[in-house]
Amino acid sequence: MTQQENITRIRVEYTKGPSLRFTGHLDMQRLWERLLRRTGLPIRYSQGFHPRARLNLASALPLGFISQSELLDFWMDQPRPLDEIHQKLADNAPAGLIIRSVQVIDLSEDALQVQMKASEFTVRFFETQSQDLLEQKVSEILSSDEIIRKRRKKTYDLRPLIIDLQAEPLEDGQVGLSMHLRAEEGATGRPDEVLDQMGYTNTDYIVSRTALTLENG
Amino acid sequence: MTDFQHNHLRQRIERILPTVVKPGRYVGGELNQVIKDWESVRTHLALVFPDIYDLGHSNLGLAILYDLLNQRSDVLAERAYSPWIDMEAALREADIPLFSLESKRPLSEFDIIGVSLPYETLFTNFLNILDLSQIPIFSKDRGDHHPLIIAGGQSVYNPEPVAPFVDAFVIGEGEEAMLDVVDVHQAWVSANQTRGELLIHLAEIPGVYVPSLYQVDYAPDGTPLPVTPLHLAASVPVTKRIMAELPQPLTKFLVPNVEVVQERVNIEIMRGCTRGCRFCHAGMVNRPIRERPLEEILESLRAGLDQTGYEEVSLLSLSSSDYTEIVPLIESLRELLCERQVNISLPSLRIESFSEPLMDQLQTLSPGGGFTLAPEAGTERLRNIINKPISDQELMETVRSIFEHGWNSIKLYFMIGHPQETMEDVAAIAELSKTILQEGKRIVGGRARLHVGVSTFIPKPHTPFQWATFDHTQSIEAKLALLHDGLHGSKIKMTWNDPQASLLEAWLSRGDRRMANVIYHAWQNGARFDAWSEHFNIDLWRQAFEQAQLDPDFYTKRAKDLDETLPWDHINAGVRKSFLQRDYKWSLEGQIRPDCRQNCYACGILSDFSELRLTAPNGGWKCP
Repeated sequence: MTQQENITRIRVEYTKGPSLRFTGHLDMQRLWERLLRRTGLPIRYSQGFHPRARLNLASALPLGFISQSELLDFWMDQPRPLDEIHQKLADNAPAGLIIRSVQVIDLSEDALQVQMKASEFTVRFFETQSQDLLEQKVSEILSSDEIIRKRRKKTYDLRPLIIDLQAEPLEDGQVGLSMHLRAEEGATGRPDEVLDQMGYTNTDYIVSRTALTLENG
Repeated sequence: MTDFQHNHLRQRIERILPTVVKPGRYVGGELNQVIKDWESVRTHLALVFPDIYDLGHSNLGLAILYDLLNQRSDVLAERAYSPWIDMEAALREADIPLFSLESKRPLSEFDIIGVSLPYETLFTNFLNILDLSQIPIFSKDRGDHHPLIIAGGQSVYNPEPVAPFVDAFVIGEGEEAMLDVVDVHQAWVSANQTRGELLIHLAEIPGVYVPSLYQVDYAPDGTPLPVTPLHLAASVPVTKRIMAELPQPLTKFLVPNVEVVQERVNIEIMRGCTRGCRFCHAGMVNRPIRERPLEEILESLRAGLDQTGYEEVSLLSLSSSDYTEIVPLIESLRELLCERQVNISLPSLRIESFSEPLMDQLQTLSPGGGFTLAPEAGTERLRNIINKPISDQELMETVRSIFEHGWNSIKLYFMIGHPQETMEDVAAIAELSKTILQEGKRIVGGRARLHVGVSTFIPKPHTPFQWATFDHTQSIEAKLALLHDGLHGSKIKMTWNDPQASLLEAWLSRGDRRMANVIYHAWQNGARFDAWSEHFNIDLWRQAFEQAQLDPDFYTKRAKDLDETLPWDHINAGVRKSFLQRDYKWSLEGQIRPDCRQNCYACGILSDFSELRLTAPNGGWKCP
């Protein structure tokens, strides 16, 4: 029997690279379960005939996006040194998933999804964009009092979900966008919705999540 | 293709992906994928499964070849699958050639393309892949700069229907033969010879059939004449290639990043089957029986789980319960299950080889789930004709034991359409099923469930029934209606194969070289994904027969003369025609042929492979 006081909660920050761009949220959960199985760490499983590893992803990333910062919690039946955990996760990760950090989290902390406050993104366009035009589109969005949109048959106001939006030069010298969007339960802004409002479709760009903001973070 | 062009292609691919369903099918990047530097490798080989990634990913044969070929430092093996309908449209619209998952190179840049054709309904997809790759469909139209097109798999034991599209076939087991193909290709490149010379060198490899080196003529009645070899290298017959012992089991499975049909560690525990069911193509062409040692199975399952993190393992064979050490194997599997928290599936259990100890062991593995049995026919009479001699009593005892050991649900497989079948035999399927469900209810009460799956008999090449006819569609439909009536109100679930889909399978599996024109026209008419009921359209095929000026009934409705030349006579699958003739005659007399592990009936395997058998380890083959 596992001693209750030995149960350990681990938080991992990791990347989701281009080769995982089209791996959806449920597939990421399965991918993580298998990654954890491969490590041989004392992963905590559910009971029953089809035991599942207990894990918790902070925030679903829309299909087609990449990310420099995703968060996941998992539980172990016994503690292990953090550098051992980091090494085993890194050794067993598929291409595109790089372990950035590993830390121990208090068992009593809220679930990651509950702690989510906001996400930051950068947008890279396939075709070179004019900085002026992009800035004009940005200011149109930011100066609107409300942006009423329809998604999955529901009408909502996109404007209050946008914390910040800027046209900015990227590393390769091209001009792209940075976005800071709210990401709370029931109030999550989607970059593709902002981009659609600006007149772009999903074949025009690649979105990368750069940071997650947690309640206590 | 220059680096610049290649990067440009990658970008164009990247941009169409968000517009299609499940783009993760087309990106590769799985755990255990092998990436090599294109320029520094001598031979570039693409392994192709002509259906979508979701199905092809689980194909064990290609996975073994991928691992084996990539173990060679001078070879790079990559993968490609059929794009789904939306992706095909997107590729054609953007004029993007079909590309490999690993390097995103067009297939036309590879040296060799190896296509797996395990079943006939992939043929149009195969043509479509060549077309999407901008490679000429017909072998004769390919030049020195085109990839060499190699095909293998269970359907090509009759290679003739696809012969004009394929440069060379590997008949039988491909593990060693594909390495030989690579060697011959490398020598050919070094010698700077013509494509014609390459084909001749390939024909010299045991088990390789180069169809362009054989001329096929037909008698006035339309039946084929014996083939005429056009070169000394073209042997008659071409004898299949087999391994003396099973190859090292695969443990480095690719773990997909998107959901596919089967995600598990697969291990072949045994190859071949000696039961001799007369309708069974796999049982005839995969002889002899070679078993994998128990220790090797367990070691490789553990290694496979370590390398994948999968939650399930599956043991593959044509008849798992015939594995000599089946009871100790299941005992060890139970330990594995506890140690690794995984599920275990063990398909293909035979009614004849059931025993109480086996049931006791199985119970500990997967209680509560379903159990599948294949009596195939409703009466003992017909079961004797097809050489699956199970008595009604034996069947009932097995079923009783299954329910008593804690299972609530049984699936029974039956086959209709055999020429010797009467309506009484069909009605007996319904009666037998109802009796079985009643027995289940008596033992486990209202939880008892029965599912009846009905397939259509197809007289396959290289089986004793290769001379028999395929049933008429109206007759099949009448038999299905009789079953529906018979099971009505019984709460037994029944599923069945579309008789038209079985008809297509019969045409394609029994065809001669002229059938290639039918396949070509059907593909041009728009046929693809024929294995998918929502895409299969028999009208495209009927039209193709007209365009090719062939009578479809010639291939299915005519009982063949025992002495006539068959389109696949020049392919030796290891079982002699004389043996099959005798077995067919026995079937007409209702005479059974017992399991040949007890007594050899000289099917031909041992005389063809006597030298090879000497190299097999002790007890490796189960022939007496």
